Amino acid sequence: MNKKFLSFLTVILLLFFQGVTGQTKSVSGIVTDDTGSPLPGVNVVEKGTSNGTSTDFDGNYVISVDANATLVFSSLGYKSKEVSVNGKSTINTSISEDASELDEVVVTALGIRKETKALGYSLTEVGGEEIATIKTPNAINSLQGKIAGVNISQNSTGAAGSSRVIIRGSSSLSGENQPLYVVDGIPINNANNGAASMWGGSDGGDGISSLNPDDIESISVLKGGAASALYGSRAAGGVIIVTTKSGKDQQGFGVEVSSQVTFDQVNTSLQDYQTDYGQGIRGETPANQAGALEAGFSSWGPKFDGSLVPQFDGVSRPYSYTGNNIDKFYRTGSTFINTVALTNASENLTYRLSASDLNNEDILPNAGLNRKSFSLNASSVMSEKLTSSVNVKYIIEKVQNRARLSDSPGNANFSAGLLPGNLDVTTLLPATDENGLERQFTDNTFVTNPYFSAYNFRRKDQRNRIIASTSLRYEFTDWLSLTGRIGIDNDIIRRTEVEPFGTGFKPRGGISDSERRTNQVDADIILAADKDITDKFAISALVGANTNHLKSENLFLGGNDFIVPGLEDIGNTVSQSRSREYSERKIGSLYGSIELSYDRWAYVTFTGRNDWFSTLSFPGKTTPNDDFYPSINGSLIISDALELPNFISFLKLRGGYSEVAGGAQNPYALGLTYGIFGVPLQGQPTGAINGGTVPNANLVAFSKNETEIGLDLRMFNNRLSFDLAYYKNNTTNDIVDVATSPYSGYGGASANLGEVSNKGFEFLVSGTPIRTDNFSWNVSINGAYNESLVVATDDVDSDVNLDEPRTQNVRITHRVGERYGTIIGVSYERDANGVIKYDIDADGVPRAVEGERKILGEGVAPLTMGFTNTFTYKNLSLNILIDGKFGGQIFSGTNTILYGNGLHKITTEGRETGLTVSGIDNATDQPFTTTVAPENLSTYWGEVNDIAEEFVEDSDYIKFRQLSLGYSLPKRALENVFLTNVNVSFIASNLFYISRSIDNIDPESAYTVGNSQGLEYFGVPASRNYGMSINLKF
Amino acid sequence: MKKVFLLLIMALIVGACDDGFEELNVNPTKSAQIASANKLTALEKYISSERYDNWRAGMIYQSTMMQHIATTAGYWSGDKYTWNRGYASSLLDRYYGNAIKTAQDLIVQLDEEESPEEMKAIARILRVFAFSRITDLHGDVPYSEAGKAVIDGIFLPKYDKQSDIYADMLKELEESAAALSSGTSEFGAADVIYGGDQAKWKRLANSLMLRLGLRLIKVDAAASQAWATKAIAGGVMTSNEDIFFLKHDQDNRNGISEVFDADGNPRMSDTFINFLKDGNDPRLPILAARRSDGSTEVADLIGFPNGLDSALLLELTGEENTDNYAEPNRAILAGFDAPMIFQTYAEVEFMLAEANVRWGLAGDAETHYNNGVTAAMKQLALFSDAAIIEDDAIATYLTDNPYDAANAIEQISTQYWAATFLNEYETFSNWRRTGFPVLTPVNYPGNETGGTIPRRLTYSESEASVNAENYAAAVAAQGPDVLTTRVWWDVQ
Repeated sequence: MNKKFLSFLTVILLLFFQGVTGQTKSVSGIVTDDTGSPLPGVNVVEKGTSNGTSTDFDGNYVISVDANATLVFSSLGYKSKEVSVNGKSTINTSISEDASELDEVVVTALGIRKETKALGYSLTEVGGEEIATIKTPNAINSLQGKIAGVNISQNSTGAAGSSRVIIRGSSSLSGENQPLYVVDGIPINNANNGAASMWGGSDGGDGISSLNPDDIESISVLKGGAASALYGSRAAGGVIIVTTKSGKDQQGFGVEVSSQVTFDQVNTSLQDYQTDYGQGIRGETPANQAGALEAGFSSWGPKFDGSLVPQFDGVSRPYSYTGNNIDKFYRTGSTFINTVALTNASENLTYRLSASDLNNEDILPNAGLNRKSFSLNASSVMSEKLTSSVNVKYIIEKVQNRARLSDSPGNANFSAGLLPGNLDVTTLLPATDENGLERQFTDNTFVTNPYFSAYNFRRKDQRNRIIASTSLRYEFTDWLSLTGRIGIDNDIIRRTEVEPFGTGFKPRGGISDSERRTNQVDADIILAADKDITDKFAISALVGANTNHLKSENLFLGGNDFIVPGLEDIGNTVSQSRSREYSERKIGSLYGSIELSYDRWAYVTFTGRNDWFSTLSFPGKTTPNDDFYPSINGSLIISDALELPNFISFLKLRGGYSEVAGGAQNPYALGLTYGIFGVPLQGQPTGAINGGTVPNANLVAFSKNETEIGLDLRMFNNRLSFDLAYYKNNTTNDIVDVATSPYSGYGGASANLGEVSNKGFEFLVSGTPIRTDNFSWNVSINGAYNESLVVATDDVDSDVNLDEPRTQNVRITHRVGERYGTIIGVSYERDANGVIKYDIDADGVPRAVEGERKILGEGVAPLTMGFTNTFTYKNLSLNILIDGKFGGQIFSGTNTILYGNGLHKITTEGRETGLTVSGIDNATDQPFTTTVAPENLSTYWGEVNDIAEEFVEDSDYIKFRQLSLGYSLPKRALENVFLTNVNVSFIASNLFYISRSIDNIDPESAYTVGNSQGLEYFGVPASRNYGMSINLKF
Repeated sequence: MKKVFLLLIMALIVGACDDGFEELNVNPTKSAQIASANKLTALEKYISSERYDNWRAGMIYQSTMMQHIATTAGYWSGDKYTWNRGYASSLLDRYYGNAIKTAQDLIVQLDEEESPEEMKAIARILRVFAFSRITDLHGDVPYSEAGKAVIDGIFLPKYDKQSDIYADMLKELEESAAALSSGTSEFGAADVIYGGDQAKWKRLANSLMLRLGLRLIKVDAAASQAWATKAIAGGVMTSNEDIFFLKHDQDNRNGISEVFDADGNPRMSDTFINFLKDGNDPRLPILAARRSDGSTEVADLIGFPNGLDSALLLELTGEENTDNYAEPNRAILAGFDAPMIFQTYAEVEFMLAEANVRWGLAGDAETHYNNGVTAAMKQLALFSDAAIIEDDAIATYLTDNPYDAANAIEQISTQYWAATFLNEYETFSNWRRTGFPVLTPVNYPGNETGGTIPRRLTYSESEASVNAENYAAAVAAQGPDVLTTRVWWDVQ
């Protein structure tokens, strides 16, 4: 592939040199504003051509043009100006502010571009440069901390893992709650391809990670229902519209090259284990190899004394601390992202072609990711009335060894992270013995040698994905147009997983091969009218129809017990199974929108959409299979309507109401079905009820309504601005899995009984405290507070149970009257004064009494904030992002296991002389104080271990998220070279926590990105990332 | 005109907006119903269940509590009477969602299709068997409302009293036995246990009736005698041909074999090895082999004490590892195609012997004892030809270990205990019922029971929160949800 990539580069370079054709005259000058201050970033274009440039930070420009040309100077917020060259070689000019063009144009629902002043809702657009400054393997993570109300959780799933993006709180108890992603007008599939659960597993990655950060022109986040109502049922989680670069901002031919390298190091400063006591049981070191195997993770040995003590392999080693095993086990990871793009823009044809290679080596040994993406965006004016565009993206992604998370089998994070201090993880190398079998270091076969897990387990997937769309637009008149658009997202994921011959918990091993094909076709037809009725009244309206068709097929082959060791093929197994899953769903829609405006300061927009769902259709069903989604929003530009004091540059009030949400996500959920098992028993076909959820034939669509109001205020010539929003939304008829007793035969039952509400506010304050000729300081603070409430689950207010961790003493639960995703777990039993009760056993060991399951916290932090500072001095720019989340909690499975195994610092107390414990004796209800003998401490802490309350802590943090220091070469320095722009940046992310409440773990280390947030159990540890990037433009 | 045109287009599109959606939402890989025969096969597989519960409830807890197996491994909770809730509820967590749910669904279908009574009888017998395992292990459990979330819309089933469950199970067996005659049921070969042989099913119904009847001995001796009498009169198993077991294969693996495959920790308990050695039992080299080299020489087969970790082992014996001890003989017992045995003719003979001792029923205790021992030795041939025990070896054994009328109940029960090795559910129930063999409890530091052998296993942890009201009522009626609470028939 690298060879191919090089030849691609060569072709591009050749094209470039051909593109440099002779020009006739060089014109230079300086562009200023009315006050004489130089203006950077002013576009300077030779009129009637695509030849152009822009001014540098000092307002300077240089352009080669025809001697008789006319130059057009334009910049957002300024009136454009034309100046004839007339043979001059220096043209200095000034352009003046245009109050009416102050407002920028953003991408709204259905890809419609609108001035922000017309919007009656909150919409945040982020430019591609913000995504591309510090690129991450999953581009969407770059938004973290940057947009008020968008809560991003990356969690501890490894570099190739998925992200959880939640806008304005989760609104569905069971739905996935993530936003709809629309790329260049086409909804793409963002399905999660597998997640870890209490029994382990790994994160299979998501759909949005396929996007190349260098291709992104802008990301529009439609936060509320009013913004996204035109997407109807698919907008319940908000909509994120990604527009990829098209080349249209380019003049003529250009080439962009960008390279970034980052290095990742495990952040060992997070963990603070005890380093004084080593492997042993009840205060004694293992007497022999068998004792060491049995002791396993148990760090209940005596204090380190340097004596020789036998270990798992029979070798005696000094009984002393050997250093941080996390640091030794994980490697320095790296990520290289290289993109080459060539663009060309002429009057009738504009295109951009890019190729990118992302190569990641994860900190987990032998794990990594390679993603190659190719993108072509082209648009052409076919005739005066007909324009067309084509967007094609092809992505090849290979992932090696996605990290196993959660439960211990095969989870290297588990075994590397729990070794007693006197065991050096590197002594577990080699991972196999002379027979090729796993070298185990404990008699618990479900704990895997971390090196065996990293090097002998195999989990590979390859993804081939095409996202393509085309649109045709015909303009009947200057106010009426018809647009047709069709897109396809075809995604094939081929996956092989091998647990090799010799695996401790699976001695003869096993293999699975699967291929998942997902195909989504989405088509729109839109008739739009845009007309000024009088000189003050204008109307803009559209009607459209949409169809969305999603098909998914999963072919699976499984084999157990390899016959020939080392030959890892499905045919080489004793027993095999196979299966095929298929699902298909369609949504049909009609929609319309009408916007009325008066004098460009009053706007009101109505929209309506009706969606029909195949997932709610069933022969004989009497309840509706469709739903209608209306919305209204409006804005008033007070600063245009009224005379306001001079220091107010702009003031807008806005408000909206909407109804969105949707149908059942999964097909075939309305009726009970039966499946035939893949393998017969004694030749007899075998079959039973399919699935563990009680179906409901009368499901209807759920709905979510939302009201929002907001304010946009800019002052002192836009030096200080405020954007505030308040919203309240309410989901009703939510489709939930009502909790059932497993003894009913089923794990849950579908019903339209859920009700959730969210309310909150968002703010963005940004300002430019300092702006001088050479120096500027921009600062912005964004924040959002969301308060969720589970209003109803079913007719008897049952809990809706989500995931539980492997410890099984705590669970994420939706409970009526509580926050979304509450952490409910085993608590201490306490007396009336809150003193912990204990049972005191025959040996005198107090055992904490397990009380009822209580609310121990909320898994989703309600308050999120981001704080950005950008300092610019001449061509040097320093950007700092600090973000934080507050008010949430997390259950730490790691700390639970650390307690039980005597590795947590708290367990060192009383190891020599005994631990004094006091409380209430459960038998007598009288206070007691006793000393737990050192040899009984493991029993004592082992009992505490079961009490989840002890391990739920605040997940609050303030993190130094990003730092970048960039330098752009001055235009002058580039005058005589073929480069037009050179930028070099030093970048760093996840540097350190400014504050953090929980010990030993990263507060952002939940192991899934599903609705069950707030559970931590041996994910990939946090890392710090440093690197640099170079961007070149020719 | 233009408007009319547009409206027409819209109307056409509206008509098409959900065209074909009903057909689209029918799963092309699944069926709305399947043949009852396919479900029966599934049900027979489900009662054998998976590695999951066979490992946890079967081996980790019961086999060690019953001192068939012993191990140093800490997670083998039953060896040391510690409490792992997930392990303790594993049978419930698998059986209700598979065997019980399928049995209820199958019986509804047979009713709806007005299938012959003998087919229903077979399904009902299997349902009784599944419930009997559940209630014997846990006591009061959901029974009348269990597995009926779809059938009756019961999402939170109540817990029935074990006394009520027993009454109904025995009635079910009585009615089922009555509905069975001779010949082959319409299930035919789909019945992978008896090939549809009605006579065998009838004998099974009566044999299970005998088993469940005898369970009542401590709580209601009169009822116990009445049901035993009825069962014997109805005709119980008559040979090893009648053994109630499922034959596994490579694709449908025996769950216990999968345990041995995955877990090297279990050793043969010295209680069991010593019993076999003391009797000079020809089963010893079939059931046990030395861990280190697989030797089955009697001299090489040393049983492992229960309730030890390796430090205690070292303290007690000076032994550094457990490889010199005997483990279950993998060569014979651990094939994936091993039979999963639910009830044997040998057990029936031992029960007849007991019924004779107690009530003078069924002829002659000594004959039944001899038949039982013989059948218990012969039945090992189900595992492998290498496990065939010759008649003269059995005769020698019986000569050396003759029926002892003075200690009949203890002797019979102890033979029953030996004969149900690996069917630990039955071992544990019969031990609780008879108190024999007398097992010396262990007292591992930090155990959960105060050094007594557990009397039951506990409910699923989720029940306390999900099915809170019914769970609380069950705990109130039966006693705390702990390992030492006794089930209804296990009165002191």
